[in-house]
Amino acid sequence: MWRREVEKETWGGQVLHWLDERFELKRPLEKFLRKPVPAHASHWFYCLGGATAFFALVQGITGVLLALYYRPTPEEAYDSILLIMNEVRFGWLIRSMHSWSATLMVVFGFLHLLRVYLTGSYKPPRELNWIAGVLLGITTLAFSFTGYLLPWDQRAYWATTIGTDMAGTVPLVGDILLRFLRGGPEITALTLTRFYGAHVLILPVVFILLVGAHFIMVRRQGISGPL
Amino acid sequence: MVEIKGEGEERRWGRRRFLQYALGFSFFATLVGVLTPIIGYLWPPTKGAGATGGRARVSTTKEIPVGEGKVVSVGGEPVILINLAGGIKAFSAICTHFSCIVEWEKAGQYILCPCHDGRFNPITGAVISGPPPAPLPSVEVFIEGEDIYVEA
Repeated sequence: MWRREVEKETWGGQVLHWLDERFELKRPLEKFLRKPVPAHASHWFYCLGGATAFFALVQGITGVLLALYYRPTPEEAYDSILLIMNEVRFGWLIRSMHSWSATLMVVFGFLHLLRVYLTGSYKPPRELNWIAGVLLGITTLAFSFTGYLLPWDQRAYWATTIGTDMAGTVPLVGDILLRFLRGGPEITALTLTRFYGAHVLILPVVFILLVGAHFIMVRRQGISGPL
Repeated sequence: MVEIKGEGEERRWGRRRFLQYALGFSFFATLVGVLTPIIGYLWPPTKGAGATGGRARVSTTKEIPVGEGKVVSVGGEPVILINLAGGIKAFSAICTHFSCIVEWEKAGQYILCPCHDGRFNPITGAVISGPPPAPLPSVEVFIEGEDIYVEA
């Protein structure tokens, strides 16, 4: 990408050259961008984590877009979904992408976990990255659970009823946990705003911090050796 | 823009440069493909949020005599019309339990959801029995001569 021959030959190369003349970005960036992939890691199943990250990126972009039209109140939530699906240009596309990509992100995250397990990549010195990955998986499931309520249709309502009821069966702290999740004893407008806040404000911050740590650790420690 | 450079010229327009432009074009095309729906999405929708305010002719009083009911489609959404002695009533035909389409039970004079035997009052839409958690939302009806219109 930053090799000398590319420079000044295309428009893109000219722009990069212009920037490099001013800021001398080439050398520091080269250190990050030019990282040879070991031969054993060229197998397709080493792409599963990257695919999961791609779906996370799609979720981020489509999620921000959906937040522009979605209204997190019991009166308006479902109507705003109908608005997105029927009136907004490409709204059906953006929401369907968000929904499909959510499913695929969970699937590919799980396949990535299996790959890491089967190649023994969790072993020392990469224990902390395994833990970061598991926390990312839990965060992803929390995203899924909170996002599922947002359409505020029958399926959303009852899925959340059942999901939060399950939390209520935890010994000793169950009742407190259930009230904490629902924002009260019942599923109300408070549950909806609570889940929405978690889905678009809290969980993204947690996710970005964990993903940052996950990637930095991969770069620092390199890809695990061949089987 | 194009410099005449003899020998160098040929190399500059060689396979490498062609491929670089082809690659650049495919990046550009991908970017346009991604940005088009996003910009379209950001553009405000033509219709206002929710309230559409029209009405649609869905049936006639001949088709639905007193004591009968019928499910019609209004803008893709099913609506149940019931002709009662007191006039024509209309409700959303989507059961509030699991979104099955409800039907008119002539023998018992109630609205029935066939999936889990949810029953609704045909005058108010309220739940008589069964699992539905909420009444059927009512839909406004307008009668002009023999024609039945509902809010769309």
